[in-house]
Amino acid sequence: MQQSNESTSNSKKNKPPLMSGRGLPLIMAVLSLFLIWEIAAYIWNKPYILPTVEATFVYMWKQLQTPEFVKALSASSFRLVVGYPAACFIGAALGLLAGLSKGFKSYLRSLIAILQAIPPIVWVPFFTIILGYGHLPIIIVILIASFFPMALSVMNATESVNKTHLELAMVMGANRRQLLTKVFTPETLPAVITGAQVSFGNAWRSLVSSEMVTGAAIGLGFNISSASEIANMKGVLMGIVVIGGIAVFLDLVVLEWIKRKVLRYRYVTGGNP
Amino acid sequence: MMQKLELINVVKRFDSLLVLDDISLTVEQGEFAAIVGPSGCGKSTALRMFAGLEHASEGQVLAGGNTIDKPGPERTMIFQEHALYPWRTVADNVGFGLELAGITREERTERVDQVLKLVGLDGFQRYYPHQLSGGMRQRASIARALVMDPEVLLLDEPYGALDAITRLTMQNELIKLWQGTGKTMVLITHDIDEAVYLADTIYVMSRRPGRIVKRITNPTPHPRDRNSSDFIEIRHEIMDNLDLGSEV
Repeated sequence: MQQSNESTSNSKKNKPPLMSGRGLPLIMAVLSLFLIWEIAAYIWNKPYILPTVEATFVYMWKQLQTPEFVKALSASSFRLVVGYPAACFIGAALGLLAGLSKGFKSYLRSLIAILQAIPPIVWVPFFTIILGYGHLPIIIVILIASFFPMALSVMNATESVNKTHLELAMVMGANRRQLLTKVFTPETLPAVITGAQVSFGNAWRSLVSSEMVTGAAIGLGFNISSASEIANMKGVLMGIVVIGGIAVFLDLVVLEWIKRKVLRYRYVTGGNP
Repeated sequence: MMQKLELINVVKRFDSLLVLDDISLTVEQGEFAAIVGPSGCGKSTALRMFAGLEHASEGQVLAGGNTIDKPGPERTMIFQEHALYPWRTVADNVGFGLELAGITREERTERVDQVLKLVGLDGFQRYYPHQLSGGMRQRASIARALVMDPEVLLLDEPYGALDAITRLTMQNELIKLWQGTGKTMVLITHDIDEAVYLADTIYVMSRRPGRIVKRITNPTPHPRDRNSSDFIEIRHEIMDNLDLGSEV
């Protein structure tokens, strides 16, 4: 049973995302945005309305070291760190439940359709009045805004679990617990990760926008709105850069890294397909 | 345990759809049997009953005289799509059944290495399925069945997805394997030549609702010549029974 012509070279390098093909387009995208900004700033030449990139970065470098910024960053981080994982967890649990019950699935779909139709930010005044100022209303808005991509993703994944994969395990003698841990879980993992990435985008956007409209009085979103009230354009632009930078880092570096770690098998190349 | 396989007056309905209409067949221990028929005739359903994945609406499905009511490790099925788990390496795929049975890692590695050598995949332990060619994947899936040392191998169009040349190679490998191990084999195929080349006994099924229209024995010793007159004669007989009008 030897087939020597099918022997292959085995190269399996797993490059980190920024070093691979994805890194360059990202850097180009960032640079092009800065370039447009810089050209506009020079042509317009009104630094109090549109400061240059370098002026903003000098300002930012000083601001980053102030206790006000550190406080804002830690307040926003706290809300994200509580709200986002909770949303992922609730979303995954609801999605799994929907996978088990047809009735619950239809209900969940309707619920999500309604919640999707309401911009998350409109909940802010409501929850602020009920719960008062502070972290809690914002965390709840993050939950509402970001549980459903995860729920939908997991729900669809439970529908599409490969039937042959399940039957194979049954033929091999798997019990119910083994079916769950050795087939269902790895089979739905890619969907969980996709869900987590989409949920992150929702969580981050709803976090920043709720901070801008509440009297949260603290947070990255609040920093932008308060800077705009005194026409501090450097402060506004800095806020945009910081918010965009953090989101790109968390999504394209941290979550992408986790994805490649968990779904390692997908990124192994070489062989003889 | 004797693993003589029997279907006795089996009827299978999916809701109101009659799929198998009074099927009876017997596969003796160590026999290589094939079931050929047009697609949708219920031949896979018959095989899945032996695997314990489907149950008869009427009649009996027996292994060694006992009713088959659930899948068991002594009868292993090889699926049309290789059905390797993409998240497991070749070694972990092949060792899957042993892992389910709670066999230690050391013993698993040893038995997996041994069976991978047998199917010509030694050295590919750490590859993932997507890194293998179609033929290698199907070999891995056969290895996964063999490592359990089942008495019966149930093959559901195992080479349907392979190119013609790889298919011929794999058929030769399967025959060697069968001669070497003496396992009972039941092969489902729509490839008439495959059935004639491999099997001792060939059951020809009609289109749905599936009935067995002919039982043909093929006493020619292996290796068989695909162009011999015996071979062509049996092929004719099968085609006639499938209403394919072989006399051109």
